Amino acid sequence: MIFTVLLITGIAGAGMYVMKLRADNATLKANQFKLETAITEQNKVLEQQKEDFTAILESNKKLNTLINTFKKDLQDLDKRFTKKNRDIGKLALERTKAIERIVNGGGKNAARCIELASGAEHTEAELKATLKSEINPECPALANPNYVPFQ
Amino acid sequence: MYHFSKIFAIAMIVFLTGCSIGGEKKIKIFSIEKPREKLNYDMPTPLQMEEIYWHIITSENAEEVFKKLEEAGIDPVLFGITDKDYQVLARNFAQIRQKLQETNNLLEEYQKYYETESNGDKSNQ
Repeated sequence: MIFTVLLITGIAGAGMYVMKLRADNATLKANQFKLETAITEQNKVLEQQKEDFTAILESNKKLNTLINTFKKDLQDLDKRFTKKNRDIGKLALERTKAIERIVNGGGKNAARCIELASGAEHTEAELKATLKSEINPECPALANPNYVPFQ
Repeated sequence: MYHFSKIFAIAMIVFLTGCSIGGEKKIKIFSIEKPREKLNYDMPTPLQMEEIYWHIITSENAEEVFKKLEEAGIDPVLFGITDKDYQVLARNFAQIRQKLQETNNLLEEYQKYYETESNGDKSNQ
């Protein structure tokens, strides 16, 4: 009788142990899956970070180029007023009408530069301009992207 | 005795398994990532500048300029600046325009960085 009880208990215990082992196995499998997913996610994050750094560098480069263009534009503007000891006041006294025409042309070009800087679309003529006579001399880099100044 | 053995066996099973046959139901906690809403502002409307006319007055042509203004029905009054101040004004305008361009560019770069498809998750930050 005792042997029967022990046998039944043993079988039941063994059954439960197998069930526990199966449950453990399922948990381990789930853990393994989670770890693998985590590794994949980490790799994705690393790749994304790499992409981000590249994008940041590219953006910085673009902004630096833009700021350098600004400096050059200001220098060019100063040059136009002072080139070869030019005195715009004296010139206006001597050639009033011509200077008036130049000043008004410059004002029109400068106004167009402001429109473009605020996001206005380029006209076809502005995009096609490649010659010095065709460009907007107030802001060639902004107004005429296809114009390459002679160095 | 036989019944006792049965009860004993069942009691032993329950004792060994610690009542874990049915077990507690597990609570599942979900965390769903909800992306931050996009701001979606339109880009600022481009400016449309109005044209102005610059009159150049010297001591010699002043009378002629005022006469022309009167003939055109414009009040014969002008707000003047010297040639040096004109240069300053041109420089100031150039700087304003550059600042405008720089700000617009920054805005575009931010938009490109945070709102492009490949960087969609950045908008959550």
